[in-house]
Amino acid sequence: MANISLQHLDKIYDNKVQAVFDFNLEVKDGEFIVLVGPSGCGKSTTLRMVAGLEDISAGKLLLDGEDITTAPAKDRDMAMVFQNYALYGHMTVYENMAFSLTLRKEDPHVIHKKVLAAAEILGLTDQLNKKPKQLSGGQRQRVAMGRAIVRNPKVFLFDEPLSNLDAKLRGATRREILLLHKRMNATMLYVTHDQTEALTLADRIVCMSMGHVQQVGTPLELYDTPANLFVASFIGLPPMNFFHVQVGEGEVVGSFFKQKLTAEQQSLLAAYKGKEIVLGVRPEDIETGGDIDVQVFSNENLGMSTLVHGRLQGSNTQEAQITCKLRGWCDYKPGDHVNVQFKKCHFFDKDTTNAIR
Amino acid sequence: MMTLSLEDKKAIQLDRMRYTKNTFSSRMVYLAILFDVFYFVSIYESDVGNWYYTWLIGISIVYNLVFMLVAFLASEGVKNYKISYGYMLCGLGIGQLVRIFILPMMANSAMTKRVIDKKTVEVPVMETPQFVWVVACLVLSAVCCLAAGAVAVTRSRKLAAYNASLLEKA
Repeated sequence: MANISLQHLDKIYDNKVQAVFDFNLEVKDGEFIVLVGPSGCGKSTTLRMVAGLEDISAGKLLLDGEDITTAPAKDRDMAMVFQNYALYGHMTVYENMAFSLTLRKEDPHVIHKKVLAAAEILGLTDQLNKKPKQLSGGQRQRVAMGRAIVRNPKVFLFDEPLSNLDAKLRGATRREILLLHKRMNATMLYVTHDQTEALTLADRIVCMSMGHVQQVGTPLELYDTPANLFVASFIGLPPMNFFHVQVGEGEVVGSFFKQKLTAEQQSLLAAYKGKEIVLGVRPEDIETGGDIDVQVFSNENLGMSTLVHGRLQGSNTQEAQITCKLRGWCDYKPGDHVNVQFKKCHFFDKDTTNAIR
Repeated sequence: MMTLSLEDKKAIQLDRMRYTKNTFSSRMVYLAILFDVFYFVSIYESDVGNWYYTWLIGISIVYNLVFMLVAFLASEGVKNYKISYGYMLCGLGIGQLVRIFILPMMANSAMTKRVIDKKTVEVPVMETPQFVWVVACLVLSAVCCLAAGAVAVTRSRKLAAYNASLLEKA
């Protein structure tokens, strides 16, 4: 069992800079939580507070109901995997993995069994006699994970573990982490700025910005029903298109287009009639046809789909730029016109930036 | 808490050797070198005029250097279960025992004249306390070398046989 409860956590550094504001989260046993957000949003600081590597300025941290707010890192029964692997270069893989248990003076025979079991899980059995410098980045990261596994901790903490890997290796190691979680069913807290990692790994995502939690939810919730403009713009690749529109009678009117509203949308926006709101459309929710005229200025073929960057006809402003992810292989040239329509729209309050629901 | 039977432990001990180094042997060799250092810094302590200045002392000095170099190399070899270095260490251990009968014995049995209380008296070149000390250093150095060598040979053989059995299974 490893339930973690983060209650009203604040982090204020000595220079009075506040990195984390009122962080609340209940992590259930065996859950895979991903903290995601841009650089400097406080996600690593939060993880380090959980690990005991940073003091908690205010709030409470409970592990299985036990208050560990001020407990030293060594007493927290958590293992952390770092971005830079933190392996000992003069030790072999075996020695690196066994190191923490050797320090605890565990029986060498037991250590051996645990190291071999972890190596088997991670596919490192053939690499046990090698030094870290003889391994690839992915293998080194697996050794770092192995070192965490042998401790059999209550909680695994990952601080951007894949950031040093190339794209191909990152994908492979990501799948390994996912398998590891399924196999061990351990509670995991994972920090990343890569939304692909967040969406593919997480049971629940915590999206952060400027030290504040913006939204907590399943990957689908964050993608499908973003809580505010920040989450909508951060989750999804390419990011969502935003347009300032006026709510009219049965439609919203932008500077260069009109979008008809369904009955459900009309009732949702009833309170905003005559007001300006923000309309969000994901590039993948745009399809050809319809009456919104887009003038193409670049075209990126991705194989299965094509990213079309352009601007709404008649506009010349940054705000009216649009990115569409159209199905199939398209060969538009700069200056070409495409008619598109929005399949699904998101609406946000212009002042609060919150989603209108 | 994982508990293991004695049989399990034996099997694991053997398997562990595939990934751990023979640090026992290498540490014993370092000790042997240390005792050898004690030996050669102690042997010229007695003030005996020019008794030591013969061709033998030259050989002794060169042998000390060779011993330390070879022992150090062997310590690295046995660490990695190289059986030949185990045999080499056994040889070095026997050599240390043989050395007792060369300089220390000769210096202990040779007599030299010394002035004590204005009287000239005959005393051994190496008196008994110093003799016991240098012999002890050589014996300890020899024991360390022999232990390191014997353990290295035994472990290397076991590991080689184990690796062969694993290959056979595969």
